Amino acid sequence: MPVSKKMKIKRVLFGRNEKSGLLFKIGLYVLLIGISFIFLYPLLAMFAKSLMTLEDLVNSSVSWIPRSPTFKNYDTAFVWMKFFSALWDSIQVSIYPTIATILSSSLIGYGFARFKFPLKKLLMGVMIAMFLIPSVLTYIPTTVLYKDLSILGIRLDIMDSIKAFYVPALFGNGIRQTIFILIFYQFFKMIPDELFEAAEVDGSTTLRTFITIGIPLAAPAFLICSLYSFVWYWNETALARLYFGSDYTTLPMALDSFIATYSSMYAQGNVSMDSVSSTYNIGVQYAMTLISIVPLLLVYLVAQKWFVEGVDRAGIAGS
Amino acid sequence: MKKIKEVLLKVKEILLIIKTFIKKIFAYVTKYTGIDWLKNKFIHLPNKYKKMVYGILFIMPWLIGLVYISLPIIIRSIRMALSDKYYFITGVGWQITGKWYEFTQFKRIFADEPYHVSLIVDTLQDVAVVVPLVVIFALILALMLNQKVRGIAIFRTIFFIPVILLSGNMLMNFERNALLTVPAIASGEISGFMHEYLPGIFNDAIFGAFGKIVLILWLSGVQILIFLAGLQKMDKSIYEAARIDGASIWELFWKITLPALIPLIYLNIIYTTIIYSNLSNNAIVQIINVHSDEAQMLGGTLTDEINYGRAYSAALSWLLFFIQLAIIGVYSLIVRLSSKRYD
Repeated sequence: MPVSKKMKIKRVLFGRNEKSGLLFKIGLYVLLIGISFIFLYPLLAMFAKSLMTLEDLVNSSVSWIPRSPTFKNYDTAFVWMKFFSALWDSIQVSIYPTIATILSSSLIGYGFARFKFPLKKLLMGVMIAMFLIPSVLTYIPTTVLYKDLSILGIRLDIMDSIKAFYVPALFGNGIRQTIFILIFYQFFKMIPDELFEAAEVDGSTTLRTFITIGIPLAAPAFLICSLYSFVWYWNETALARLYFGSDYTTLPMALDSFIATYSSMYAQGNVSMDSVSSTYNIGVQYAMTLISIVPLLLVYLVAQKWFVEGVDRAGIAGS
Repeated sequence: MKKIKEVLLKVKEILLIIKTFIKKIFAYVTKYTGIDWLKNKFIHLPNKYKKMVYGILFIMPWLIGLVYISLPIIIRSIRMALSDKYYFITGVGWQITGKWYEFTQFKRIFADEPYHVSLIVDTLQDVAVVVPLVVIFALILALMLNQKVRGIAIFRTIFFIPVILLSGNMLMNFERNALLTVPAIASGEISGFMHEYLPGIFNDAIFGAFGKIVLILWLSGVQILIFLAGLQKMDKSIYEAARIDGASIWELFWKITLPALIPLIYLNIIYTTIIYSNLSNNAIVQIINVHSDEAQMLGGTLTDEINYGRAYSAALSWLLFFIQLAIIGVYSLIVRLSSKRYD
């Protein structure tokens, strides 16, 4: 074989300088696909199991592909969860606090980013320190406090209603709200000062500058924060049960109560391997889990770019 | 038609009178309550101070939240953890028994509840194993996703899906049914090999990690993106220069990429520790969750406190906080010591 041909093969296989070779690419793809499988494994396994009939679930020789795929489990799940009312509750429970979170976070982020005032550094430090405190630590004192919370002498009565989610969010105490404040802070910081100065020279008031210049230029931040906040409030069940358990039943809450019923039946021996109930079985549970995830998955796939951008733009990587 | 017009005119006149009247009242109010004076003063303030006032007004919601919500919560939590019983009597209010310096609850955890102590140790071990693995995996995956090959966006989409599942109780639903372990990995040849040839302590840690492979990958979504953002901000010309000087890929990674990522490693250690130790699959969180169920905690009566009540749970959660701090501290120290030669 001539030397030049040998060189060419070598170049294709191992690459040269900037360009990576074929072998490297194949290895990379194999690894990426393998890891992707591990990432998706739980969801795939869940989906496969949720399509199985009772016989398949009990049969240990059936592990991935159901012998006779059926959507019966989904039917049962839909009815048990009262899907449409639960979906409506879920949407309410996630959207109100999201709006509150965005409102307050944008104001607070703007305040921190655009103005200088005494103790600013210290206050930001306090804000970040608060984020380090585990949420479970605040869990019980929060319920104790919310029982008779009053702000500036106004009794709020937020317990046992959805207010317990959105009132704290209005005051910067929503779920992981520090992250949102930091995202807004970073966005408002990135807008050049000249824009704001120009507006102020033309006689715009501070609030008007915020609304007409700040908000439009930080539009991505609004999108990113609403997405994350929506997802986090959607999944929150422990706090929801504690704050307004009886008023709203969200999809994840319905799922939780199904699991509770199922496991208590299991413990009492009502459900055994050979007499599995047609309502309470693992297939239905998986179907329910997938049903309560699917809305989030749709949101994620539509707005995927912004989820990713959120981390990029939060500026955590830069500063 | 004419009549209607006249009526309309009259209405307008009346409205105008009312308007001026309200304006006058408003002016009086602002004049005599001092608002006018304040406004006047404010307008004549130098620009610098004006901005200060505006800034504080903008962060007002957070300040109010801090004073009325966050701080009271933390103070209460400390007081709760340091009390004997913390309960509610209708009409009287919250009652606290026990002196703070007695540390009743902490003594109780370590002296009377061996099972809970073992759970705490398990949690410590668990977090200590998972955190470095998540950071390392995130770094490796970020390096892989940083390659410029076709279809990388699809993989990024897949790697980031778990972000929507990592909050609330969702992760628990997967873990409870052993869906977070890939059977072929957890109980296959590899782990059998490990079992045979590695000493016990390593074995447990590594074995545990293999069992948690999905969990570890799922947890690394945000960290991957943090690393990716850092990698993409790096200057290409440094690599070129090094390559011309004859550095291999291996050297490039250890001498250029890794040192640049060290600040992000700290960040990811902190982030992972916080997120992971607050997930509800954690033993301590579970104890607290179980005992603070609706029926028990909201009543707030004395009988709730007999078993594992508010005071006990608060003490446990402070222990979790200290575990977090310890883990963040130890790993940051390790990273710091091992990165010393880059300075």
